[in-house]
Amino acid sequence: MEIEVTQNKLSKALNNVSRIAVGKVTLPVLNNVLIRVDNNKVSLVTTNLDMAIVDYLPVSSSKDGVITVPAKLLTDFVGNLPRGEKIKITSKNDKVTITADKYTSTINSSPADDFPELPEINEDKAVIFKMGIDEFKNGISSVAIASSSDLTRPALTGVFFTTSDKNLYIAATDGYRLAERRLISGVESEVSVIVPTSSLQEVLRAINEEMDEIEVSFNEDLVRFRLGEVEIISKLIDASFPDYARLIPKDNNISFTVNREELIRDTKLAALFARGVAGSITIETKKPNIVSVKSVATELGENVSTIETEVSDDCKFTVNSRFFLDALNSLDEPDIVIALSSKTTPAVLRNQKNQDYTHIVMPLSR
Amino acid sequence: MYNVWENVLAEIEQKVSPANFSTWFKDTTLLSASDDHVIIGVKNSFFVKQLRSKFLDLITDALKKNGIEFTTIDFEVSSTSKPKVRSREVTTTDSSLGDRIKPLKKSLDTKSISNGLNSKYTLDSFVIGSNNDLAVSAAKSIIDTPGTRYNPFFLYGGPGLGKTHLVQAIGNELLRRDPSLKILYTPISHFYSDFIDAIQNGKGKEFNRKFEKLDCLIIDDFQFIVGKEKSQEEFFNIFNDLYQLNKQIIVTSDRLPSQIKTVDERLASRLTMGGAFDLQLPKFEDKCAILRAKAELMGADIEPEAIEYIAENVNTNIRDLEGEFSTILLMSEVRGLTPLELIQNGSASISRSNKLRPISGKQVVEKVAKYYNLPVKEMCGKSRVANIKTARQVAMFILSKELSMSTTKIATEVGVKDHTTVMHGIKKIESDLKLNFSLRDQIEEIKEHIYG
Repeated sequence: MEIEVTQNKLSKALNNVSRIAVGKVTLPVLNNVLIRVDNNKVSLVTTNLDMAIVDYLPVSSSKDGVITVPAKLLTDFVGNLPRGEKIKITSKNDKVTITADKYTSTINSSPADDFPELPEINEDKAVIFKMGIDEFKNGISSVAIASSSDLTRPALTGVFFTTSDKNLYIAATDGYRLAERRLISGVESEVSVIVPTSSLQEVLRAINEEMDEIEVSFNEDLVRFRLGEVEIISKLIDASFPDYARLIPKDNNISFTVNREELIRDTKLAALFARGVAGSITIETKKPNIVSVKSVATELGENVSTIETEVSDDCKFTVNSRFFLDALNSLDEPDIVIALSSKTTPAVLRNQKNQDYTHIVMPLSR
Repeated sequence: MYNVWENVLAEIEQKVSPANFSTWFKDTTLLSASDDHVIIGVKNSFFVKQLRSKFLDLITDALKKNGIEFTTIDFEVSSTSKPKVRSREVTTTDSSLGDRIKPLKKSLDTKSISNGLNSKYTLDSFVIGSNNDLAVSAAKSIIDTPGTRYNPFFLYGGPGLGKTHLVQAIGNELLRRDPSLKILYTPISHFYSDFIDAIQNGKGKEFNRKFEKLDCLIIDDFQFIVGKEKSQEEFFNIFNDLYQLNKQIIVTSDRLPSQIKTVDERLASRLTMGGAFDLQLPKFEDKCAILRAKAELMGADIEPEAIEYIAENVNTNIRDLEGEFSTILLMSEVRGLTPLELIQNGSASISRSNKLRPISGKQVVEKVAKYYNLPVKEMCGKSRVANIKTARQVAMFILSKELSMSTTKIATEVGVKDHTTVMHGIKKIESDLKLNFSLRDQIEEIKEHIYG
């Protein structure tokens, strides 16, 4: 096997794939990256058996062959070479030699036979969606934030992709908050699957400015993301997602519009005082036009900020400041609408104009 | 079926590297093997691909060697192949991902149709012994005339003694005699999570309706009701409704209701008004009978001496007993020795948790004192203060049970006057153990400290 490629291209590709190839002790070959050259097509592959990342690398010249080498070592070596350097990788027996102008290193490789073969998407049966990369990125990152890391509840450790009325929605919840977004409309096929958040984070990391479209294909228990030269395949989570639509309150009687930046500042201020009480802050509305954000810490002192905006009724609502901040940061318009009612129903946060995104935060009972 | 797969795995384990085995085969299961068609359950598609492309021949050979003939082999992603949370023997709701991609929203009703009973539990396969004969005869009377004499039927005992087996068997037998009966078996944890769902979805009424038409309600592991006041109240209402209609109610728990914290007194007394039956640890003869029945069921050949050896050395519960038994059978098959030969040449000694490394009496006394936060001198003195006295008696108890010391020797170890005091102490702990669950836990913990 032999390839010739510039340092920056190789380094970028290795960075894309190498993150998941660490720390597998049971099967050492999983710490390796597989480099395959087949008819001038060069691919770098890593997998952790929950997902796999493939990067198709543009090269200037190549000879067919397959090798696997420790991913971290190769990534670090190539990363430290001068930018723009021309790199040549050749393999002979079980040695892989990497040469650049003044630098040479030889790495022991292991047989490519040990490297697991990747499952494939059955193109005929797959459900395929295409969307702009920015829509995808904003959508996923604003929703995935609400997913849980509690492995005992697998359904909540992922983002739920579901279709209804020809819209594709994504949603995630950890039991304390919930985020939902309409990702694309006018879709014909139907899905109802949970994609692991950890896999989605890899997809987000692989995104760069040159990409403009992403293709997402679902198939039985696999999902494949195609973006630029990167392809990510992941298992789906085998569990059923809660019927979340019922969690979104429909009849919150108090709603008010506020400036998002202002509320973020007030929340951050209040959070400073809320450390001792698990970050809980209180939002209070007073007729006709006062919204205040408060926190009290017995040993530190207390804080109140007020915002003037029209409110229809009095109410008091206590939330976790971190969750509330996450929600505010996930919204993107300058003005947002918050709907509240008594203490027991969740608060609903939406952008003022675009209604595609909904974030709800459960109240703390205090 | 399950055991065949264990053998197949043992066969494969010899032929691949440990790394490959633990990565690719550990979480596999044999889902079905019939009509020339074998289905193997795996964790996800990555495994399907790999097993198919790299290990297919190996699996085929190993299956054939174990007497499974087939023409086609399939791999299926199954959620059951990997227990996500420690699951008890609950009915498996089969959810393969395949059917979730197209048909939407069909998952709602499936649960209510199933009655939660697993047909593998039958009364015939329940081995009757002196440890459970009372409970079984009550169970038989329920099957003959449900809803009359033993209603509610309250069954309690430690883990792995057959509670679930017995109550499931009652359900299955009732259903066999009259298939039109409406029976529901549910662990209490499902009861309250369903209840919470129902409340959240505003379907509290419907939840109630699901129960009121039942002819027999079986609730398993009632002790987990702790801290679920609302669910308890709901259960109390359902209980009363059913009871008034003379419907059979069966409840199991690891202890008496009065010993479960936060269980309402009214409910506790009602639960035991039909009598509380306990399943005890089997005696030596019972254990032999269980193992013989198991051997017959599996069609395995095992010497009576080997059975006696296992029965003598496993003292925890029936589940462990059967586990140990299966391990020995598996080993005998793999190594080609009879179970007795294995035991005699020492390769199958049941030593892990039961016969532990030797420890001295002094160590035990020190550990007990440390556990109760007492200086050894104080514990081994004449103090009559309740907690010190209990600690001393616990030490006596452990010395006697774990080290089989004579009472005279124990007396010198813990510094009491004579052996009669020791005898009294041991007896006191023994009788307390029956009722006092925190004491039971304490002693288990101390044992862990001693051996750990």
